[in-house]
Amino acid sequence: MKRSYRGVILLSVVLFLNIVCTQYVVNHYFHEKYELVLVFALLNVLLFPLALWIYKKEVRR
Amino acid sequence: MDNEAGKNNKVPFEEDNYTHNIHKNNERQLDRRGFLKTMVGAAGVFAVSTLPWGGLAAKELMGFGQSSHPKKKIADVQALKVGEAVEFHYPGDHESALLIRLGDNKYKAYQNACTHLKCPVFWSREEDQLVCPCHHGFFDPQSGKPTAGPPRRALPEVVVEIEGGAIYATGVKRYET
Repeated sequence: MKRSYRGVILLSVVLFLNIVCTQYVVNHYFHEKYELVLVFALLNVLLFPLALWIYKKEVRR
Repeated sequence: MDNEAGKNNKVPFEEDNYTHNIHKNNERQLDRRGFLKTMVGAAGVFAVSTLPWGGLAAKELMGFGQSSHPKKKIADVQALKVGEAVEFHYPGDHESALLIRLGDNKYKAYQNACTHLKCPVFWSREEDQLVCPCHHGFFDPQSGKPTAGPPRRALPEVVVEIEGGAIYATGVKRYET
């Protein structure tokens, strides 16, 4: 069995995007750009199913 | 020696320390799959943690946030001569602000916490500028923009209205970068 770090790397990318989105959510909130807050909050929420999907794909492999 | 055989032939010697109780199958709790699970959980925590911000933003968008700026009387027109300033608190009791009468019918009000390190800014009539004494920051009274010193952002402007010989504060202008 050859080890693969693909899942770990992909999930690291997802978590990095999570950090970026959270930062944007907070900053846009304080700059009172509320539409952008909603966009990034939604993006952050959508990253969770993506992470789950990556995990399931890795387990099945 | 019969005593030893009585232990199901699996414990070859007296168990007097706890180093033999590691089961190889379960000894690594954090294998790659467990680590992936932790990462997915972290993504979930991020997702949940942004929900309150989204909720607050939606609340502001639907217009519930504007009621926090009440109309407040600052001073009478007669009490304030041209070129003079008066300090007041707006919108909260702990947010000091400064009203300057620049002309007969020209009033400007700013929240006077310096945008550098929050020192109170005062109005200098001689220099025709708003001055922050802490680090010699200067602001233009017409626009609130910094003209010299460490501050880089404009002072937040308070909207004023004249009504029946008195000056009222009615709101704080949205911060623009």
